[in-house]
Amino acid sequence: MSTDHNRWREDLAAYMLGALDHEEATEFERHLEGCERCREEMQWLQAAVHTLPESVERQEPPQQLRQSLMAEVRADARTQSEARPARAKRRRWLLKPAAGFAVLALLVAGAVGYEVGNDGSGDGDGGGSTIVRQAGGITVKMVSEGDGGKLHLSGVDELPPDKVLEAWVERDGKVEAVPALFVPDRHGQAETTIEDMTGVKTVMVTKEPSGGSETPTGEPIVTMSVPQ
Amino acid sequence: MAVRREKAERLADEELMPLVGRKDPEAFEVLYDRHGGAAYSLAYRIVGDRAAAEEVTQEAFISVWRSGARFDSTRGSVRSWLLSVARNRAIDFLRSRAGKAPKLDFDDEAVLEQRPATELTEEEALRRETAAEVRGALGNLPGEQSKVIELAYFGGFSHSEIARILGLPMGTVKGRMRLGLEKIRGELAEGLA
Repeated sequence: MSTDHNRWREDLAAYMLGALDHEEATEFERHLEGCERCREEMQWLQAAVHTLPESVERQEPPQQLRQSLMAEVRADARTQSEARPARAKRRRWLLKPAAGFAVLALLVAGAVGYEVGNDGSGDGDGGGSTIVRQAGGITVKMVSEGDGGKLHLSGVDELPPDKVLEAWVERDGKVEAVPALFVPDRHGQAETTIEDMTGVKTVMVTKEPSGGSETPTGEPIVTMSVPQ
Repeated sequence: MAVRREKAERLADEELMPLVGRKDPEAFEVLYDRHGGAAYSLAYRIVGDRAAAEEVTQEAFISVWRSGARFDSTRGSVRSWLLSVARNRAIDFLRSRAGKAPKLDFDDEAVLEQRPATELTEEEALRRETAAEVRGALGNLPGEQSKVIELAYFGGFSHSEIARILGLPMGTVKGRMRLGLEKIRGELAEGLA
């Protein structure tokens, strides 16, 4: 038993450093299952292996990496969210393209001059998109999706690394934060998803510190009223 | 419903992982902010190129995002797990670019000294102190032991490849690995005493 353990003991460190070939590693793992001494030694040496990655000199990752990673993660989260079964109650909060401007009463508060239209991409039965141009050169496009919708912004200035965009909805007299923070890409495009637009009267977007805020801390760069 | 960032920041890594498993971007973002720098630094140490390190780090974290539920807390900390994922990705990257020599030295001090200092949190400062101690422990190893550990961990070479590179018997390579790890572990234990 002892000789057997000593034979495997020589493989332990190599295994922990990922230096055994695949077949050797598999064989070692089989031994490990039945050898308490090896498991104890491995547990003891684990701390040494775990400190190896901590030994490297710190490099600051580019901000672009964080933005790119989180954009992919949020897109994936949105896809997951969209894959959920639609609620029985479907509320069409956005305008049918056919209804056009007659009911398109989107208001832009705090904006001096704006244009409203739709790009005809809707299906005429609850889907659709609405475009609003805001003061400051930002164009907002909202696309309805089930109970919620996607909010696209274009013409957004580049943000400082410590700032993000945060969307807010006003519902029943209360302002709620939209969980998905977002940032513009290098072309000034930014997008977020509002999962539930039921009862929402106003949509706003503000620039907030990285990580977002519980309540808006700055003037909205986008404010849209949604007709009920 | 995703948890708010402020709430996520108060949670321990182990508490964030179930949220990541439920696809909570805020929880994931906190994890990245805590450990992304270390993962990127490790990837850079292994692949030796900033663009490649960025690619490797992104792949590693996306892999964690998609497999967050696989984290097993009985096998170590979240940070160790994240860094092992980053290390494996970086080694895969090296292997896919066969022929590219990995960096083998620990001496990046000169480069870092030129970088502007950033504000350190207490936790980060402690980590850097620990890192310095570990570098010290590695530096205190006989060259023959640190060399085989570097080749294995940061170079991704198997013990048989290392034996060939260094012209040593395979048993000698494995023995040096063991002695090296035991010495590092011993110094860590002394540091904690």
